[in-house]
Amino acid sequence: MLRTDEILSTIEMLHAEYLDVRTVTLGLNIDDCASEDAGRMCRKVADKIRSRACGLVEACDRIGNKYGIRVVNKRLAISPAATLLAGHGAQAAMALAESLDQAAEAVNINLVGGFSALVHKGMTPADEVLIDSLPAVLSRTQRLCASVNVATRHAGINMDAVRRMGEQILAIAHASADAKGFGAAKLVVFANMPEDNPFMAGAYLGAGEPEAVINVGVSGPGVVSSALRRRIELEPGLSLGDLAEEIKITAFRVTRVGELIGREVAGELGVPMGIVDLSLAPTPQVGDSVGEILEVLGVDRIGAPGSTAIIAMLNDAVKKGGAFASSSIGGLSGAFIPVCEDASLARAAAAGYLSLEKLEAMTSVCSVGLDMIPIPGDTPAETIAAIIADEMAIGVINNKTTAVRLIPVPGAKVGDIVEFGGLFGSAPVMQIRNPGASGRFVRFGGRIPGPIQSLGN
Amino acid sequence: MKTRYPTAFVLNVIAPDRPGIVAAVSKAVNAFDGNVDSCSQTVLAGYFTLIMVLSFPQPVEPEQLNDAIMGLAVDPSELGIHICRYTDQSPGAKWMEGENFVITVSGADRDGIVLRFADYLADKGININDLYGMTQGDQFILVGQVSIPGRCDVRSLQADLEQLAKEIGHTIRLQHENIFVAINQLRLPHAGGKTAR
Repeated sequence: MLRTDEILSTIEMLHAEYLDVRTVTLGLNIDDCASEDAGRMCRKVADKIRSRACGLVEACDRIGNKYGIRVVNKRLAISPAATLLAGHGAQAAMALAESLDQAAEAVNINLVGGFSALVHKGMTPADEVLIDSLPAVLSRTQRLCASVNVATRHAGINMDAVRRMGEQILAIAHASADAKGFGAAKLVVFANMPEDNPFMAGAYLGAGEPEAVINVGVSGPGVVSSALRRRIELEPGLSLGDLAEEIKITAFRVTRVGELIGREVAGELGVPMGIVDLSLAPTPQVGDSVGEILEVLGVDRIGAPGSTAIIAMLNDAVKKGGAFASSSIGGLSGAFIPVCEDASLARAAAAGYLSLEKLEAMTSVCSVGLDMIPIPGDTPAETIAAIIADEMAIGVINNKTTAVRLIPVPGAKVGDIVEFGGLFGSAPVMQIRNPGASGRFVRFGGRIPGPIQSLGN
Repeated sequence: MKTRYPTAFVLNVIAPDRPGIVAAVSKAVNAFDGNVDSCSQTVLAGYFTLIMVLSFPQPVEPEQLNDAIMGLAVDPSELGIHICRYTDQSPGAKWMEGENFVITVSGADRDGIVLRFADYLADKGININDLYGMTQGDQFILVGQVSIPGRCDVRSLQADLEQLAKEIGHTIRLQHENIFVAINQLRLPHAGGKTAR
């Protein structure tokens, strides 16, 4: 029998503190849809998605209902689309993107990730086709997300790809100027991109993964900040060690929920359960913010001195609790700090507490990177590339995933508030210090070699 | 459940709470060389209640056991005792088959809340395995652990219960017990038998 206090505290977590499952993502390999005929390839992709993913939303809703817990997002992550584009050109890339977009809509999935290329050591012609297509693809599709891996611990940083991505981010933003550059919000540039990440926009199904798999992203930061607030109110005089323990316990709880739901959905769909991603993913909703956790833990606003130390503690405690709760931890598994998607971060940026440089410092101790940051639309492409290179270096040297999702907002200047709506939130355009001062570095091109730490064999 | 000895009873005791009631019952059992096979006890609003499965190696009559407990109690006049024969073939056991769900109801206290939901569950053949209710200020909270047979459709039960709760301005939730196990306990949630959908 369950104890009544366990039942009542669970009800409180579920219904007052936003305990939910952030995403159940079906990973699906589409390599078998390759065809010399682009039309046939697109039909095969659409058919496969319709047949394999059609039950996902219904299963998530029904199982969520049974447990009284909401599965917020149901998503699809495919194997890298660049593989299918081998031997094809720009037209095929656009046709494939449209097919993926329509197939996702047909099965009621709000985002599909995996329009991706892995170019950390070099580019194939297919990778080039995919990267060249991004401005058109991301401005004309609604549900498709793209990602490009430009660096790994082993290979180092492909600076030619970094430079190209700097140009493409700007081109995508301008191609979607009528949506304030929103196309760029659907592209992530990665170092050490994980094969099993369930979170958008960077989800894809990597090499070594099964034909189909369920990966789950656990609940967000609202549960953690509520637990900390309650504990602090009940017991004044707690130390940071005590609070880290509280985070750990909460992470254990949310991970168990993710695992329970994921396993049941996987069972229903007849596919293996992959991983639980422990990441604390905020939403613009008040009370569901990583920034708020930092405020509870003692800084007036995220970005103030101490923020890096707190987020390091938070990230570590989340992993410790999660690792005990599940043997299948994967994906990104850290705390996200996406400026637009976290109301507290957006407020801190507007109030001058949070700068790009402080965000970069924090990404060295948490996942995932410079995320959902509006920047002036006239930022030079080489400066964007140099920012990417800096972030990739943090990932490569520290053997972790880092990423960049910058949104150059055409016509906007520093401090302008940009509203993307819904889960994508709003934030002020952030300042890029010293724009145009890194061109010579970026133009060298080539590859920054893998660090000495990569020689582990 | 198999008892240790062949002569077995279910004992129920109710009394104003005070130290020594369980001790008196245990001494009485011991006096007949008996064994406590299973027990559950709680105190609610100052009142003690106990249910025990007891077994004895030699024949004992319920009246003998009753008298022994009364004889050992500090204040026998306040003790209510009920004893019946125990059988491991009790028809009650079958009602606990199915998957375990938790029902929570909350809202302003008023007459007939328990009746409203218990009556609906009884009509559906859903057994209440555990029930707890408490008043917090002018609010009443009811927590029931129930077994839902595989033939039942959870969504329609939820819809019906929500309608019943809505009529009196209450909130109700029906959730599979595994969510509570996952969040609060270290044991693994078990898959159960026939899945209620």
